[in-house]
Amino acid sequence: MLLFNQLETYLYVALVLFFIGLYGVLARRNLIAILISVELILNAASLNFMAFNRFLAPHPAVGQVIALFIMAVAAAEAAIALSIIIAVYRKLKSVNVEQATELRG
Amino acid sequence: MDPILLGCLLCVILPLVAFGLIMIFTWRRPNLSLAISLVASTIPLIIAWTMLFKLWGIKEPLIFTFNWLVSDLVKVPFGFLIDPVSLIMLVIVATISWLIQIYSIGYMGGDPGFGRYYADLSLFAMSMLGLVISSGLLQLYVFWELVGLSSYLLIGFWYEKFSASEAGKKAFVVTRFGDVGFFMGLVFLTIFFGSLDIAGLNAAAASDKMPPWLITTSALLIFCGIAGKSAQFPIHVWLPDAMEGPTPVSALLHSATMVAAGVYLLTRIFPFMAASATAMLIILAIATLTMILSSTIGMVATDIKQVWAYSTVSQLAFMAMGLSAAGLAHGTLFAGYFHLTTHAAFKALLFLCAGAFIHHFGTNNFFVMSKEGGRKLTIPMVTVTIAALALCGIFPMAGFFSKELILGTLAHLDNKIWVLLGLFGAFLTSYYTFRVIFVMLFPRADDHPAWEQYWEEPEPHGHGHGDDAHGHGHGDAHAHDDAHGHGHGGHGDSHGVPWVMSFPLLVLAGFTLVLGFLQTPLETFLLGKSEPHEMSFVLLASAVGVALAGIGMAWLDWGRKTASWQGFIKQIPALETFFIQKWYIDHFWRWFLDTFIYGVFSKWFTYNDRRVVDGGVDAVAFSCIGGGRWLSFIQTAFLQFNLLFMVVVLAAVGIYLLMGR
Repeated sequence: MLLFNQLETYLYVALVLFFIGLYGVLARRNLIAILISVELILNAASLNFMAFNRFLAPHPAVGQVIALFIMAVAAAEAAIALSIIIAVYRKLKSVNVEQATELRG
Repeated sequence: MDPILLGCLLCVILPLVAFGLIMIFTWRRPNLSLAISLVASTIPLIIAWTMLFKLWGIKEPLIFTFNWLVSDLVKVPFGFLIDPVSLIMLVIVATISWLIQIYSIGYMGGDPGFGRYYADLSLFAMSMLGLVISSGLLQLYVFWELVGLSSYLLIGFWYEKFSASEAGKKAFVVTRFGDVGFFMGLVFLTIFFGSLDIAGLNAAAASDKMPPWLITTSALLIFCGIAGKSAQFPIHVWLPDAMEGPTPVSALLHSATMVAAGVYLLTRIFPFMAASATAMLIILAIATLTMILSSTIGMVATDIKQVWAYSTVSQLAFMAMGLSAAGLAHGTLFAGYFHLTTHAAFKALLFLCAGAFIHHFGTNNFFVMSKEGGRKLTIPMVTVTIAALALCGIFPMAGFFSKELILGTLAHLDNKIWVLLGLFGAFLTSYYTFRVIFVMLFPRADDHPAWEQYWEEPEPHGHGHGDDAHGHGHGDAHAHDDAHGHGHGGHGDSHGVPWVMSFPLLVLAGFTLVLGFLQTPLETFLLGKSEPHEMSFVLLASAVGVALAGIGMAWLDWGRKTASWQGFIKQIPALETFFIQKWYIDHFWRWFLDTFIYGVFSKWFTYNDRRVVDGGVDAVAFSCIGGGRWLSFIQTAFLQFNLLFMVVVLAAVGIYLLMGR
């Protein structure tokens, strides 16, 4: 049984990707790094869809369509997030998330 | 379609259509409005008389019903009940309503609200005719309230005058107060008896199918409504104030027909009411008290309409006495109902005569009318005297026959106190009636000291009445400077009263003279048979005796040349003040309202509204604001802390769901 021909392999890879992304989102203080980590999480999800589609779903196209959708959404999200980051930078002269404290309760 | 049913429908629908047409389209055009209203009152008049003649002598009542409201528990029919009782009332209402519409052409001519006036009269005609021929109590209640509405509209007709709009409101609220009781009685009957059909109710009560407690309770509750509409103690206070309306309205609504609706209802369900001796006794007591009370107030009033208003209250009480005494003594409804019939004729006549004087002299004070030469108006003076004789019960006027019958019924009771009180009331009635007549007939010389006393009226209600007939504050000059001006005799008529006004007076005077002799045929028609009335000579003599004694007393006080024009009641100043203040009943209600309604209920409901309702809403809002402030420490401005918290919670939920299986 080849390693790359098994569902579990892809799921583990996706899991690792997801946790790396999650760690990045939670631990990094740089907004751009956080954005990159979010992309990792999305990629983990796409990988899962593709894997399930490849091994379990009868119709081959469904998972690919969803993966394409996720890519499009990720692109839009990156554009919006980057513009927000630029706005934050203009205001704070920094992209460190710890500097954005104006709404502290 | 059955011609009778068609007639009934036309009686109800035509005036309603007239009301709608005038109110929507023609209220700016007096003549067109008048024409519409007259057509819509003449046809019911013809129908009513035709039905009376066609159906004279019917034994079985004619009932037409449609289902109006049906559920599995109750069925409320809508329909018409034609029997002798409703036929006679139908004729009374249609006739007097028509005569008043004719009379009002003269009385209201030139008024800026002429069209609106005729619309309101049509609304009244529709609701009263509908009330009379209702087949069920709920339907009757609907028309009953419509009658109350038209009464409100017509009392406050000159709404620019503050006292008139106040009087309208008072009439509406006070009668509604009684109607709450009436409605509770209907609900009570529906729950425990299941039907509000008049014929069924009477039959069930007469044949002991209903438990006595049910009859007594619902009869007393229904009597609350009767007391409100027919102005019985202690909620009679609205009727004297209702005299703020135009005088033809007082004649139509507040003496002849609408206030008689209460007594009519008592007659309508007489077998039902009579099945409870307790209720009958209470009604008898209240009616007797009302009669004495209102007669004594009538003795001191100086406003002619107030005198007739209190006289109306006392005569309605007298009818209620006759009916309740008949209920106690297992008699028939004839005495009370016959008095209702005759009273409708002569009391409408009294008011219309008063209206003729008011129209001519522009005042309500009969002392002023007397000084200005009131007795020169021949037709009103003669007819008012005829009506006054009828009111006192002097042969051969109609009142003689009906009053004798009621006194005869009262004499059948074991307790003779009722007939004695009835005779006392008759004495007072003759006294105050002929006080007015003698003052009008025999004015004193100009320098008589009594003029000073009665010229400017100290009574709180007196001053507002002077401008009743004309100057009701709308400032329209054209209403005054035409032929309808007052006090200058510019009518171009030898009697000073236009023929449209004197014609109804003559017709009603004719009824007053004739009706008494129709006693036997009417009784045969109503009851199916005429019982010989064994009228005891003592009672007859005492009844005529007290009436003549009252007139004699009035002659001594007001009529003869050397009369003091003071009234015997002047000898007891405390009692006179008591009567002038109307037994302090208005004061009592004022005090009652201030203390209990405004002081307790209104105050506490306001408190509840401000504190509990408003306070509750405010408390929710303020606690949201406060809670938000307090919880805002959670927002640390450390974005990733929130995210971490979210992830941990989601993870915990996920683990729980996975492990929980």
